[in-house]
Amino acid sequence: MSSEHQDWLSAASDNNALTKAQLDRLLSDAELQNTLARYNLIGATLRRETHSPLQANFSDDVMLQLADEPVYNLQSNRSMLQRIKSAVAVAANGTWLQPVAQGAIAAGVALMAVFGVQQYQQSPEAALSPQPLLQTQPIAGFATPVSLSQTTVSDRFAEQEQQAMLEQQKRLQALLNAHRQQVRVMEQAQQASHNTPDTGTGQNEQ
Amino acid sequence: MMRFSGVCSAIVLVVLSGFAHAEQEAWALFDKVQHAVQQYNFDTSFVVLKGTKVDTYRWLHGRTDTQEIEHLIPLDTSGVDILRRDSVVYYLLTDRPAFVTRSSSIPELPSLLFEPKSKVSELYNAIAGSSAVMSGRNAQLLRLTAKQSSRYNYWLWLDAETGFPLRIDTLSEQQTPLERWLVTHMQISPELPENLRALMDADLPAPADSIDKALPQTSHQLTWLPDGYQQVTEPATIPQLENSLLSYWLLTDGLHQVSVFVQNSQRLPTQAYRDGATTIFVQAGNKMEVTVIGPVSIDTARQLAASVQ
Repeated sequence: MSSEHQDWLSAASDNNALTKAQLDRLLSDAELQNTLARYNLIGATLRRETHSPLQANFSDDVMLQLADEPVYNLQSNRSMLQRIKSAVAVAANGTWLQPVAQGAIAAGVALMAVFGVQQYQQSPEAALSPQPLLQTQPIAGFATPVSLSQTTVSDRFAEQEQQAMLEQQKRLQALLNAHRQQVRVMEQAQQASHNTPDTGTGQNEQ
Repeated sequence: MMRFSGVCSAIVLVVLSGFAHAEQEAWALFDKVQHAVQQYNFDTSFVVLKGTKVDTYRWLHGRTDTQEIEHLIPLDTSGVDILRRDSVVYYLLTDRPAFVTRSSSIPELPSLLFEPKSKVSELYNAIAGSSAVMSGRNAQLLRLTAKQSSRYNYWLWLDAETGFPLRIDTLSEQQTPLERWLVTHMQISPELPENLRALMDADLPAPADSIDKALPQTSHQLTWLPDGYQQVTEPATIPQLENSLLSYWLLTDGLHQVSVFVQNSQRLPTQAYRDGATTIFVQAGNKMEVTVIGPVSIDTARQLAASVQ
């Protein structure tokens, strides 16, 4: 065993680089390998590294322990809601969520405004529904369809005068019918009067 | 200065011609409505809304090369079937023989649709309004505004495609709606409706040649007439009121009719009612009672009643 050998082996144990030829020799010579191992051991002893925290065969112990471990069912059984919750919880911590949420609220308000106004504007079209929108206009302070019961201007009618009111009602209905009848025959009447030479049409007869 | 007045007069001219053009356009719409209801073959339904009262009608019209036929059927139980063939109108009563008159239109339909434009334009200004969607159709608004404020105004919505009236509102001088005429169904066809074809040849009584005239004239005088109205010189008699009627006048402005009845006093208070656009005003007095019935405002009716002497 030459000192030359010891020099480069010692250097190698101190993490100095080996040449290609030296490495080839080391790999082919078992004697040299043992020497290097010894040098490393001496170095470690000198650096007080003899107490290694792990045994060389620690992986075997881990494997043994794992073999004894009971098998847990690790399939994912979280519901969609939980997943969304957790996703939201994650998102809520993100800085991007707040501006997006504000934007969504603003958009919702804008939509409500647009559709609400449209619906409001459509409401006059409800006039097409069969519900009559016209209201009988009060005249002289009261309003009554002719065919229904009446109220009078004075509104001070006693019970015994109800009969008179009914009579009045009948008379008015008769007059209304007479008026309608006159309108029906009016054109005929006018045609007849046109045949006479001195019709006063076109002038107000005051 | 000359240039300024020139510019001013140019602006005035442009504005005036703009108004004139708009007015012309509106009257063109009016022509379109009248043409639609007088020339087309159609089968429609309409309702008349008077306050809380609703009347429903079916209205058919047809034309051949030589003849015109029109049928108005009330869909309520009370009402009379009305048929018009050319210028004869038949009121088909169930329990009595048909009542026949001569008229070129059915008076129960809005007279606005049939009276000549010259007559209507004497009383009304026409303004084309905005368009709207009505019953799924495109409707064009035509406003007829009375030249005298005492007369009611009309708002017509006509179908943009055919010109057929879809809705007619009668509004008071304060623009309060009084009556609404509304088409609920409309079918215009190139052919004469089938059920009119049979009525075209149906045997119907001839109109009475002469109508009874000459109401017994009394000492009462009507001393005032609303603007544009004139008396019908010889109105027909009213047999059912013969005993109670003291005097009677029928007034017309060509589009509307107003009746004035004078009867013995019933010692009832002055009162007024409204049936859609028709006002019924009773003026009480010691000796006589005057009743005014017609599409006039309450003030006009009161003035008219007061003018009876």
